[in-house]
Amino acid sequence: MIDSDSVKNLAGHPFDRRDFLKVLGWGGAAAALSGCGNTSIEDGKETVVSYVEAKDYVIPGVAVYFNSTCAQCDAGCSITGKIREGRVLKLEGNPESPINKGRLCGLGQAAVQHHYNPDRVREPLLRNGDKGEAISWEKAYALINEKLAGVKGEEIALVSGDVSGHQKVLLGNYMDSLGSKNHFVYEAVSPAVVRAANLKFYGVEMPRYRIDKAKVVLSFGADFLGTWVSPVHFAQQYAAFRKGVDGQRGVLIQAESKMTLTGANADRWLAVRPGTEGILALGIINALGVATGDVAELVKDYDKVRVSRETGVEPSNIDKIAAILKLRSPSLVLVGSAAEGYQHGLQNAAAINLLNQVLGNVGKTIEAPVSVPFPQMAPAKGKTAALKDLNDDLAAGKYKVLFNVATNPVFTAPASYKFRDNMAKAGFKVAFAHYLDETALQADLVLPLDSEMEDWGTHVPEYLADTVQINIQQPLMERLHANTRGFGDILLALVKQRRAEEYKAFDDYYGYLRSAVLQNKAALGGAGSDDDTFWNDTLSNGIVKLSGASGALSLKVDVSGLKLPTPKEIDEQYPMNLIPAVTSNLRDGRHTNQPWIQESPDPLTTIVWDSWVEMHPKMALQLGIVEGDIVKVTSKTGSVSAQVYLFPGIHPDAVSIPIGRGHDAMGRYAKGYGVNPFEIMDAVFESATGELAMHETRVNITKTGQRVIVVKDEGPAGGRQMGRKIAARMSTDQVDLSKEV
Amino acid sequence: MKDIREDIAWAKINQDVMKSLENPRPLYWVILFFAVLAFGIGIGCEVYQYQMGMGVANLDNPHVWGLYIATFIFWIGMSHSGTLLSAILHLMHADWRKPIYRFAEAMTTFSLMTAGLFVMVHLGRLWQFYYAVPYPNERWVWPNFQSPLLWDAMAIFTYLSSSVLFLFVGMIPDLAIARDNMQSGWRRKLYTLLALGWEGTDRQWRNFRVTYLTIACFLIPLAVSVHSIVASDFGMSQQPGWHVTSFPPYFVAGALYSGCAAIITLFIILRYVFKFEEYMTLPILKKIVRLTFAIAMVWTYLNCVEFASVWYSHDAVSKDLLIQKMTGPYAPFWWAMIFCGSIVPLIFAIKRFQTNIPVLFATSLLLNLGMWLERWMIVSPTFSHGYYPWTWDHDQWPSMIQWGIVFGSFGWFTLLFMVFCKMFPSVSMYEVKEMVYHRSLHLKQNGTVEQGVH
Amino acid sequence: MSVTNLLDNWAAVRHFHPIDDKPHDPYKWAMAIDLDACIGCNACAVACYAENNLPVVGREKFKHGQVMHWMRIERYWDEDGRDYPDQGFQFLPMMCQQCEAAPCETVCPVGATNHTQDGLNSQIYNRCIGSRYCSANCPFKVRYFNWYDYPTTENVWPAEMNYQLNPDVTVRGKGVMEKCTFCVQRLRAAEVTAKGEGRIVREGEVQTACQQSCPTGAISFGNLVDPESRVHKQWQAQQVDLDKDMQEKNQKEGGSDLRGYRILEELRSYPSVMYLERVRESAV
Repeated sequence: MIDSDSVKNLAGHPFDRRDFLKVLGWGGAAAALSGCGNTSIEDGKETVVSYVEAKDYVIPGVAVYFNSTCAQCDAGCSITGKIREGRVLKLEGNPESPINKGRLCGLGQAAVQHHYNPDRVREPLLRNGDKGEAISWEKAYALINEKLAGVKGEEIALVSGDVSGHQKVLLGNYMDSLGSKNHFVYEAVSPAVVRAANLKFYGVEMPRYRIDKAKVVLSFGADFLGTWVSPVHFAQQYAAFRKGVDGQRGVLIQAESKMTLTGANADRWLAVRPGTEGILALGIINALGVATGDVAELVKDYDKVRVSRETGVEPSNIDKIAAILKLRSPSLVLVGSAAEGYQHGLQNAAAINLLNQVLGNVGKTIEAPVSVPFPQMAPAKGKTAALKDLNDDLAAGKYKVLFNVATNPVFTAPASYKFRDNMAKAGFKVAFAHYLDETALQADLVLPLDSEMEDWGTHVPEYLADTVQINIQQPLMERLHANTRGFGDILLALVKQRRAEEYKAFDDYYGYLRSAVLQNKAALGGAGSDDDTFWNDTLSNGIVKLSGASGALSLKVDVSGLKLPTPKEIDEQYPMNLIPAVTSNLRDGRHTNQPWIQESPDPLTTIVWDSWVEMHPKMALQLGIVEGDIVKVTSKTGSVSAQVYLFPGIHPDAVSIPIGRGHDAMGRYAKGYGVNPFEIMDAVFESATGELAMHETRVNITKTGQRVIVVKDEGPAGGRQMGRKIAARMSTDQVDLSKEV
Repeated sequence: MKDIREDIAWAKINQDVMKSLENPRPLYWVILFFAVLAFGIGIGCEVYQYQMGMGVANLDNPHVWGLYIATFIFWIGMSHSGTLLSAILHLMHADWRKPIYRFAEAMTTFSLMTAGLFVMVHLGRLWQFYYAVPYPNERWVWPNFQSPLLWDAMAIFTYLSSSVLFLFVGMIPDLAIARDNMQSGWRRKLYTLLALGWEGTDRQWRNFRVTYLTIACFLIPLAVSVHSIVASDFGMSQQPGWHVTSFPPYFVAGALYSGCAAIITLFIILRYVFKFEEYMTLPILKKIVRLTFAIAMVWTYLNCVEFASVWYSHDAVSKDLLIQKMTGPYAPFWWAMIFCGSIVPLIFAIKRFQTNIPVLFATSLLLNLGMWLERWMIVSPTFSHGYYPWTWDHDQWPSMIQWGIVFGSFGWFTLLFMVFCKMFPSVSMYEVKEMVYHRSLHLKQNGTVEQGVH
Repeated sequence: MSVTNLLDNWAAVRHFHPIDDKPHDPYKWAMAIDLDACIGCNACAVACYAENNLPVVGREKFKHGQVMHWMRIERYWDEDGRDYPDQGFQFLPMMCQQCEAAPCETVCPVGATNHTQDGLNSQIYNRCIGSRYCSANCPFKVRYFNWYDYPTTENVWPAEMNYQLNPDVTVRGKGVMEKCTFCVQRLRAAEVTAKGEGRIVREGEVQTACQQSCPTGAISFGNLVDPESRVHKQWQAQQVDLDKDMQEKNQKEGGSDLRGYRILEELRSYPSVMYLERVRESAV
């Protein structure tokens, strides 16, 4: 089971007690499974060996715990893996991490199913007609070298998701060595417009939000409990916010067109006509009546009658919200994906940010983030605009070689991009992949990646909860399949092809990482301790915490450019707004092949294993549609058919389809379940940032005449309790929270 | 009209009944064929279910019981009429029962055997069924005596063994006749063995009478208790629609009702197939029909009592369930039950239909359907519409496997019953003789009795 | 196997219902779930899948209602016909309530579900014959039956997936009933450790999987007998008494200003899980 690389590593690092953390990745499982020999777990050839001579840290029946970092999303939660007899069983949150403080969301926990997934790619695959042919790594590397020969730097492109830490450094070096500047950082779901708005307004892309300090949170579509930026962290802040101070419980108001998980937890949820979030924000500023100067001038026309007419929010609610915001300070106003997904997304976000300034929240509940002392390790943040650029370049035939690092643009690009066809124009396509997903299937060469539980790495989260933290990712167990490789290892091998001399000291990525960390030992807080101790401590903690310099926000209140369009007239042909919903389970669909994710009911609709079209019962009544009807949702770009779910938490002008399902590849748990809303998404862009305006697609709904039973957890009683006291509720004037433990 | 011709010669009785062991009408074989076919289908479904797990029955959480339990109650109910006819009416000296009690008793035994199968079919781990039996074991583990299901197991077992004994004991004199009438072959050996050396001596008759009477007395409380205990499965639970005090008498009434209906059906079939027109006469049928009508009205009354008490009790959950039964997805079945159980038997009140065989045959089948629906309407709606609205489940529909096994159980029952009637005298010869004897006493005095070997 | 043994065992098994003269000692595991903190994110449910080897049944079986989630998140909205759920939804994590007088226990014909001395409603898989009477009699419908043999069902634990299974928890075959155990494997480990050290399990020493993962800390779990435990303090502060089927605080005119309640308490099953009502702001 010990593959050639690890044999080399073992030879280079003779086993000793102090090194046990590292060896766990190889030797630990060796003890558990075979002791010696050349089988892998995959082969099923492991022999039973006596535990009489087990390694000193492997006690049969007793779990050991190792810290690492969750890679299911980019929030950077630290995890603790429970390992028994060399196998990782369960992931818990690492209590030492300020981000998740020992907690972990369902998606994070499902990472073990990514690791053990039966549909992972296990061998390097070379395209041979329609099939992939397994080849050796030597051959794969040689092939890349061969294909790169004589190709100019500008003819090479690489697309990846968010990347940070030493992988980012090494990736940058590799691109440098190729002479290419075409690194596209692409995330299908990212708060890019909000970042741009924040940068303009606060001088930083992502300030530190202090929900826990706020007495009122007014969120415009920011699903901070479910999907937004760092949900586990925000959920903990939320818990503190709800507890409040002296029994003064925090009040959450959510304004959005389609209810998110956060909206479902609001004290007041406002159904806003799609795209009018900014108008509502200005209306609230107007109602507050405390703005002066330019701002007052800007909002003076936004009286509540007009705002109510345009947004669909009742005037009395605008008054109530203004009143409570005035009364309870500090508050916090958040802007999320529902507000940014329009052509005027940046304007929306700016108007909403303005509300924070008017309320005086900046500096109180919106703090400056700490800056990362190693900028080269700070995360490269994905944008949807990157994919647009890449696609344009590909269409123009600019690239001869395309590297794709575990992103899936064929799945997440709007159909009108014709990404699949454009990708084919690149001569040689290399995919670093976990699964044979839609994009990997288009590649000429597929390089199988280690799972996050087998790989080494460092990560710096974009949203830092407290101090700067560098999260360590380390193997929690032996490599499951003999022929997968870590991302860093592959990069190192590739970069060695170009700059052999520079990297010859490093046998593998582990060696590189160790030496890179130890070089900066002093800066990382290890001054005074010897290398081995520091390194082992680092691995043991799973986090390196640094005291980064806390910058200041440079507030720029400039309302001169702020202009919100009046809501569009109803388009007769396409009367509804399509809201592609990001759900907390599925996110952008990269984890759909994890069965726990598929079977975990959507928190709002409780639907499993399928896509649905969410529709307000009123609108459904108008159209004569009932739950389970298969409807055809048609946009200018195309159409998809899916089952209807009647859901009161959506504006009647909108319909919503979740993102993440509708795979036609990837694996047994993902393929063939549901539909992909990207297929009907119009290519409309946010006018200032060029980001894809995901909420701008307009659609019409037609019945197909078919009807199915919606597969969901709730029964025919739906959300009703039939007068029984099951999930009970009190209002704040009935309850005395100060008596609570 | 007379129950039976008083002037039948005893030899003719022997002859007629023994003929039923030889050459029935062709319809017998047709019935037997379909019974075997249905039973085969049931076996196939059960094998599949055993292999795959209970999920293939399309039961779910929390709808964990379905047709198996409903049909189980149905078969238990069927068993009651045999006891009613042979034991209760025996004690009441209603001698019109005599030509028909034998097959009714057989029906009791076989429907109990069928019901027992459903307990097995229903178990998730049927290979461990013996855990429910208090057998000596090394781990000192007892079953749970608090569970009505355990009472069930015990009651059914006792009832079944008593019924078999009762059936057998009552048959001994007839077996001796069969033995004496058989020339040779395995059947003679079988009858010889089973007749236990019966010679018809005074002493034997005396002992026989005492034994028979004792078992009859023993059986009556058993019959009442067994269905009361089945009722406890529901009544002792805490679920809406089940937690009803009147359930035991309601179940017993329902049991007698469906049993009587089944007797009418089988009466008509046997009468034709085995050419028993002389013994299973229309006046007897008329008596059963009247009895059935009376029981139907009792059942209807008890139904009303149940609804009224739910209405009166202010138990919102039970009330909700009752309304749901009447108006929800189960409504067609529920109303069909009311129709078949309370409206259809009104036909029996009309005199000219009381002896109309086609009408009675159709009606009795409808009554049985109604009683089967009743059991289903007791079991399923409570699962679909219980205390906890989140887990309501109105889409539960039994799978073909479940239907197949239910269907197969009818095949199994018919098979057993038909084979029994062909193997053993299904009309009690000695008791018919007694009946004829008593009724012909006055004829004898007039000297008009047919000459025969008495 | 004697009648004496029967009576002894019976007495031992059945005396753990809440009665004054036989208090729980030294453990009574109980839970409190703050519905105001619960955001309905499903992390607890996934944690339960991971910890307790719950099978993923797939779409077809889910459709037939054969899902095995020991912990389910229910979602309710207002029934008063308003256009939007403008006060949000109400989420409710529901699992076995570990009733003290559990309706499921008395009806099991083979005694496969029992009360343990530390106040759990235990399920003995080996003993279960699958009569499903327990589920039939459960008011909360939190018992889940193995309709199929999941370990051998295709794509439940294919290939390497079964390496994830927790060795401390049995993988259940077809035909047995299962349900939330309060992570009994964790409790037993903690109890044994504590016993070895001559003490009782300390507050915080043991967590259930759902509690551990909950991002908002909505779930607290511990020993109700231990006056130091958070659960004890919460139950006490909320004036919810395990032994009562009707809490005194609710008898007062105008109701209580405390949030603690137990679901379907009036059925006298004495659940061991207290819920704290969700709170909604009256000012907006």
